[in-house]
Amino acid sequence: MSSGAVPFWRSAGMTYITYSNICANLVRNCLKEPHKSKVLAREKVHFAVSKWVDGKPQKATIRSDTPEA
Amino acid sequence: MAMSALRREGRRLAPLISANPTNVLRSSLAPSEQAFLGVRFASTQEVQNRMRSVQNIQKITKAMKMVAASKLRAVQSRTENSRGIWQPFTALLGDTPGIDVKKNVIVTITSDRGLCGGMNSKAVKLSRALYKLNAGPDKESKYVVVGEKAKAQLVRDSKKDIEICITELQKNPLNYTQISVLADDILKNVEYDALRIVYNKFQSVVSSVPSVATVLSPEVVEREAEAGGGKLGDLDSYEIEGGETKSEVLQNLSEFQFSCTMFNAILENACSEQGARMAAMDGASRNAGDMLDRLTLAYNRSLSLSLSLSHTHTHTHTFARTHKDMHMH
Repeated sequence: MSSGAVPFWRSAGMTYITYSNICANLVRNCLKEPHKSKVLAREKVHFAVSKWVDGKPQKATIRSDTPEA
Repeated sequence: MAMSALRREGRRLAPLISANPTNVLRSSLAPSEQAFLGVRFASTQEVQNRMRSVQNIQKITKAMKMVAASKLRAVQSRTENSRGIWQPFTALLGDTPGIDVKKNVIVTITSDRGLCGGMNSKAVKLSRALYKLNAGPDKESKYVVVGEKAKAQLVRDSKKDIEICITELQKNPLNYTQISVLADDILKNVEYDALRIVYNKFQSVVSSVPSVATVLSPEVVEREAEAGGGKLGDLDSYEIEGGETKSEVLQNLSEFQFSCTMFNAILENACSEQGARMAAMDGASRNAGDMLDRLTLAYNRSLSLSLSLSHTHTHTHTFARTHKDMHMH
């Protein structure tokens, strides 16, 4: 699975968290139907991040997988 | 004093002197002019208004308490279940809040909304204390702020040290995917030797304990493991499977530890928030009830007082009195 000194996903710039999340999502997609939609509906991402430079907030970016209502 | 007494006397006489008393009575309804008949009327009216507004506030606080209670029920069991997610890490790596490193990142977790007692201020105070503890030459500390409330407080004196600010977490119910994306965002944007997560640990509906969880960077873990002592000294006794080197395993481990610890910390904090809000709103509605009782008492007393006064003072002109009593009711 790992190629050489660094695993492929880390050389692609992912952290272990992203990698494990992708794997977890794959597993969730393998579930059978009543459970599958329930589990996928549960894992919603939404939050706003803003970086601060020299004591001033930069423009906030919204990380969300649901389109703005 | 004398002037006002005189004025009062004058007003009391006014209906007697006036040729047409009904006109005077009608104008006494206007608040500024001809105030004698209106004085007690206005004060009971004022008390009545106060009572109404206190009652409305009580309704609101009661409703907020109910909302907080139902949200707490939803989040409490998940919080308690999520505690199992960081315990293996502590068993393996130990908890080292006192570790001395160069780059500290203090992750302060608070709520977005207020009206939940002093829990947010407590978390901010603890973060500031950590900042001071870890201050020193060639050392630096940065804040990562989660929640509007810590932002509002830290902006005042340490805005230069704020690195990232994260809000609007609780739009959807909290889940692991969301927190891990957030943890990923934090890891990619800060340089750290130790991440110190400050949050309110849920204990019961009325109490939460401000706590710190420490996540070390892989380099620091390795250094400490070589130095020996504590849990980290035992790390070498573990075998590593697969083709990965020890530093890779440690890096994966510390990243995963951070996202798991964040997940638990944010849930604990959300749970404490709802509990604290419930307690605060319970107190507020009880206070509103007490205030309402006092106001009702004052209202009834002034009502009966003004009725009996109007009997003794103005029984000479019955006409005016009956009109006034009509206004009272």
